Amino acid sequence: MSDKETTHFGYKEVEKDAKAGMVADVFHSVAARYDLMNDLMSGGIHRIWKRFTIELSGVRKNNAVLDIAGGTGDLAARFAELVGPEGRVVLADINDSMLQVGRDKLLDQGRQGNIEFVQADAQFLPFPDNSFDCVTIAFGLRNVTDINLALRSMLRVLKPGGRLLVLEFSKPQNPLLSKAYDTYSFRVLPVMGRLVTNDSESYQYLAESIRKHPDQGTLKNMMEDAGFCQCEYHNMTGGVVALHRGIKA
Amino acid sequence: MTTTIDPTLHTAALAALEAGLNRTLDLSPQSKSGLARLEDCVFALHCTAPTLDIYLHPSAQGIRLAGTHHGPVTTSIKGEASDFTELATSRDPTATLINGGLALEGDSAPLIALQQVLATLDMDWEAPLVATLGDVAGHQLAQTLRHAFSWGKQASTGLTRQLEEFVHEEARLSPPRLEVEDFYRDVQELGLRVDRLQARAERLQQRLQKARS
Repeated sequence: MSDKETTHFGYKEVEKDAKAGMVADVFHSVAARYDLMNDLMSGGIHRIWKRFTIELSGVRKNNAVLDIAGGTGDLAARFAELVGPEGRVVLADINDSMLQVGRDKLLDQGRQGNIEFVQADAQFLPFPDNSFDCVTIAFGLRNVTDINLALRSMLRVLKPGGRLLVLEFSKPQNPLLSKAYDTYSFRVLPVMGRLVTNDSESYQYLAESIRKHPDQGTLKNMMEDAGFCQCEYHNMTGGVVALHRGIKA
Repeated sequence: MTTTIDPTLHTAALAALEAGLNRTLDLSPQSKSGLARLEDCVFALHCTAPTLDIYLHPSAQGIRLAGTHHGPVTTSIKGEASDFTELATSRDPTATLINGGLALEGDSAPLIALQQVLATLDMDWEAPLVATLGDVAGHQLAQTLRHAFSWGKQASTGLTRQLEEFVHEEARLSPPRLEVEDFYRDVQELGLRVDRLQARAERLQQRLQKARS
């Protein structure tokens, strides 16, 4: 048996060092049509989930916000409006293809001045301690190799009293919904992925990675173990997605 | 905040309401300047029946609606949906706030300013119609609509006045407002006189009792 540490990549067990590269390949492949696929897969509901995240973030004028795994910049765009010209929004993503799509999209929308784009790994955030009023990560945490390390890194860069919001797929609370969701994820999504992005494997990985991601209660405990307080979560769409929030004491 | 329904539904409903509201505000440029003056205000509406919390964030771009808010609130009002409808459509919002079923906390002046902005929307339909149909057809249709609205408003006012006159004067189904006010004044006066008479009678009775003893 190999003495190298392993982690999961979907249902596969891979070496820890290899996961980031494999996840990167997935996102290089889907970056160009990421927004279109999100709309198709969720029927546009991902916009509602993100809107609720923004509501719960409590971001206001002059705040500093870090959007990790910010992808195509849906959250960062809204945060840039809320913080105003004196505020600061950092859109960070480990994947350069996603970051490029996000940066082009936001600049094409005329958003500049209070937005920065940083290629960064959530586990080793390149920011000083106590830098941000709010940190968000939407649909990104399950792709991180070591979730505990990433949570501790997010805690470090948050100011005392700052909020972490984790928007992520989770465990449906209704068995009937769960069954329908499984069928949709494993039968429909890969076909949709093949038709739109010519890549069914990435969407097979998406479905598998969701199942391997910690459920609502487990993630809440992980946040508490990392040092966050007043941790809570809100199930959305019957638990298909959950929004976790924790505060840095 | 207590959200009893799935946040997805709650948030979707607010997003739809916000989109409709802002689309309407886009047609009324004057209202936008009114909202800009309320930029830093947050209004909390706590509806008890049905249970729903809405936070309004006005700005020069429109109104942002949220189901949650963490931070100070300028004005908070609590009541049933019917009370909020009454306030929104009231000609005299101050009187409605004082006499209606709403409980108010905080500064009422920005709330009244917001109500006035929303109640006096002056929509300019011409711009979107011209953008869609072209200069000539858009202008013609906008003018026709303006005339139709103006006629409808006049007809509604005239009909209300005539109906009121018929009910009060012709059919005598209900007394005219002035007559009712006179009657209430007389009743009030009579009540005062009865009170005075009662006081005098009591005083006389006390005197008689003293004289006997």
